[in-house]
Amino acid sequence: MATMHDEIDSWLAGDLHGELSNNERNALHAHLVDCGACRKTHQETKAMNKILEETFAQQKPDPAFEQRILAGFRNRVPQRRGLVKLLVDLMRLRATQITAVAAVLLGLVQVGRMITGEPATAPRERERYVGEQFAAQPSQFPASRAAQSGALAKSDEVAAGRPQDLALKEPPPPAPAQSKDQRQGSAELERTIVTGSNIPTAAEEAAQAPAQEPAPALANRKLIRNATVELEIVSFDNAVQKITAFANEEHGYVATTDSEKQANGKLRGEVVVKVLPENLDRFLQKIRNLGELKNQTLSTEDVTKAYFDTDARLKNAHVMEQRLIDMLKTKTGKVSDLLQVEKELGRVREEIEKMQGELKYWDSQVQFATVTMSLAEKDMEEPAAFLIRERAQLALYAPDVEKIYNEIKSLASPKVQITNAQLNRDYSGRVSAQVNMLIAPEESDAVIGRVKAFGRVENFQTQTQRTAQGGNPAAAGSENARTKRDKVELNIAISREEQEQAFQQTSLRIRTSSVDEKAKELRALAEKQGGRIRSSTFSRDPDGRAVANVSLRVPIKNYAALMQSLYSLGKVENVSVQRQDRTDAQIDEANAPADVSIQVYSQGNIVSPETGLLATLRRTLAQSAGAIMWSLRMIGVAIAFLAPWAIAIIGVIWIARRVIRAKR
Amino acid sequence: MDPSEREKYQAAIHGDREAFEMIIRTHSRTLFAISYGILQNREEAEDVVQDSLVKAWKTRWRVRDPEKFPAWLGTIARHKAHDVFRKRRTVPLSEQVTEPIEPEPANASGLDQKLHSALAALPELHRAALTLRYFEEMDYRTIENSLGLTNGALRGILGRALTSMRKQLRPALAEMD
Repeated sequence: MATMHDEIDSWLAGDLHGELSNNERNALHAHLVDCGACRKTHQETKAMNKILEETFAQQKPDPAFEQRILAGFRNRVPQRRGLVKLLVDLMRLRATQITAVAAVLLGLVQVGRMITGEPATAPRERERYVGEQFAAQPSQFPASRAAQSGALAKSDEVAAGRPQDLALKEPPPPAPAQSKDQRQGSAELERTIVTGSNIPTAAEEAAQAPAQEPAPALANRKLIRNATVELEIVSFDNAVQKITAFANEEHGYVATTDSEKQANGKLRGEVVVKVLPENLDRFLQKIRNLGELKNQTLSTEDVTKAYFDTDARLKNAHVMEQRLIDMLKTKTGKVSDLLQVEKELGRVREEIEKMQGELKYWDSQVQFATVTMSLAEKDMEEPAAFLIRERAQLALYAPDVEKIYNEIKSLASPKVQITNAQLNRDYSGRVSAQVNMLIAPEESDAVIGRVKAFGRVENFQTQTQRTAQGGNPAAAGSENARTKRDKVELNIAISREEQEQAFQQTSLRIRTSSVDEKAKELRALAEKQGGRIRSSTFSRDPDGRAVANVSLRVPIKNYAALMQSLYSLGKVENVSVQRQDRTDAQIDEANAPADVSIQVYSQGNIVSPETGLLATLRRTLAQSAGAIMWSLRMIGVAIAFLAPWAIAIIGVIWIARRVIRAKR
Repeated sequence: MDPSEREKYQAAIHGDREAFEMIIRTHSRTLFAISYGILQNREEAEDVVQDSLVKAWKTRWRVRDPEKFPAWLGTIARHKAHDVFRKRRTVPLSEQVTEPIEPEPANASGLDQKLHSALAALPELHRAALTLRYFEEMDYRTIENSLGLTNGALRGILGRALTSMRKQLRPALAEMD
């Protein structure tokens, strides 16, 4: 009961407000009987409850309070009427909201497409095209229908069993009196291009064949059919014979043939065949079996309208001609008038002839389809022969350039032709020579061997080139072609030994206290080992450091001994050796030159002037200034990068806050 | 909560004006009690009720759960009343003198005065709970609903409020006896 005692106020409040259950009330009353303090509290609380009840009863709002509040509310929030209410109600509907969101999304997508430049309007255009088709059809239909059925009745070529409605559904032939631009539209080109990869199989072709054959409704149309075929065949003459046979079978004829012989003996040519249009497809299928089909094009040109236009004009011209002749016959009027009539008659006749010629041309074109076949024999690209051309190059080093030069020149014979020989001596007295020669292929190995024996051979290179003669060099894989060896071209460069590159290069440093003395000693050592000094320098700087650079060349057999003796001069440092190994067996390795470049130096005053307090301070300051400048630059970059974002975000927040405030 | 009541709140949230006016009829006294508890002034409390209802109508879309609608109304009233209370304190002294806070000078007996000062010393929530109880004689559940309290918290609050009142008024109570 301790808890009840502690929270007596809550219990008492509950009791006074009638919020205790029966059990709770009994427990409370039992406690009050026991506990004097709580009894006192109970008394006080009861008194206060009464005071509160009385006080608050006075403050209670009057009965009209609700009405007042409601009136005030209606006053301050006027009821929406009519359209605005309807709109607001609409906006409240979930469906409307979803639709609005969808519309906004769609709009965004469209904007995105516009920005990225995708063709968003393509489908709509297609729809419009279809719509136009539908709109155009009915207007043409009734006009053409009568003519069409008439044509059907007249035509003897109508195939039996072909459904009539199919014929009626075909695009109607254009009426003769139509404007010019429409006429151009009707003279359309129907073109089927079949290229290497997607040539239909024979079965597919057979399935398509009935569709390609002229429909009976087209019987009185003037169609010019042309085909071009590109074929690769084994034998040209054979193919031409077969084509002629096929043409005869299909009631056609070979119009022209021409052929051309290539450098490699293969034939290429063109055959033009005229066949009846209705046999064209069958003919093309037969031709296909002749060889490998590379390309096939089939085109149909509809000249119906132009043809009938010309025909009508021709009839008119005939009538005109007749009238003019009548005028001449009656012979009334002045002579000048008669002359005028005569002139007009001439013009009309000329026109008539022109139109007749045109019609005849069209007739001939329509009567026969033209098939142009390009034939090429297989392996057209294969070369006829190969030429092997060899080119050799070598560099010779010899003590006496002139002697060698003369010896090489004396090799000349009918099989060894010297094409170029020159001996150069430059201003510093260096001699070099250049000899170019052409050697018969069978002699080449012997001559090259002899030349090599004249001196130290350096850089011997041979190069063989296989050239195709005739045909395509890319198709050089063929084994049947003949090969031929051409003369070998040999270029020789002769130089003095000094100019030769060292076989091995060594560089090292020797530290010593007396540079002068040691440099002299070094020269003596080199001479002892059969070396020659190539260059030497000596310098001394203000700090007392002396440096001597010596470079010398020794035969490689003495190299090891020289290196050994160098250690007696001082402390040897930084030895680096570079060796150029050549796999050429012709090299005389023992006598090959080795270059050694030696730096003899003393240390002198080794304390750097860049030490001490001031210098250190200066360096530190310079470095920190640099660091500050660098970080300033980085901050600038960061601000430049972030500023636009910050501005955008602040702007959005500002607008959002304005909107929210406006709502309140 | 009663399903029909829930429906009423839902309709009000979705902008049904009739439903909202019905809620005004049933809840304006509660709101008055809350704001009176804070302000101890009838005119000001009535203004606060008006303002709170207008604001509630304008921002009704913010309420997600219709069950919390009464508690939300109560919160608005409490905040509004609190705003008014703060503004009153910042009014210059001279105006305070000419316009005394005590609205009912006629009843200004000694006990009344003490009662008011004791009420003013209570925390806001305790005052609101007390006024709701004594104005409207509401049961605890309804009060808890209006103030957004959890089940059973009210009894403690009322208990504590009464204790502190009793302690402040003890001399006056003794006099009465």
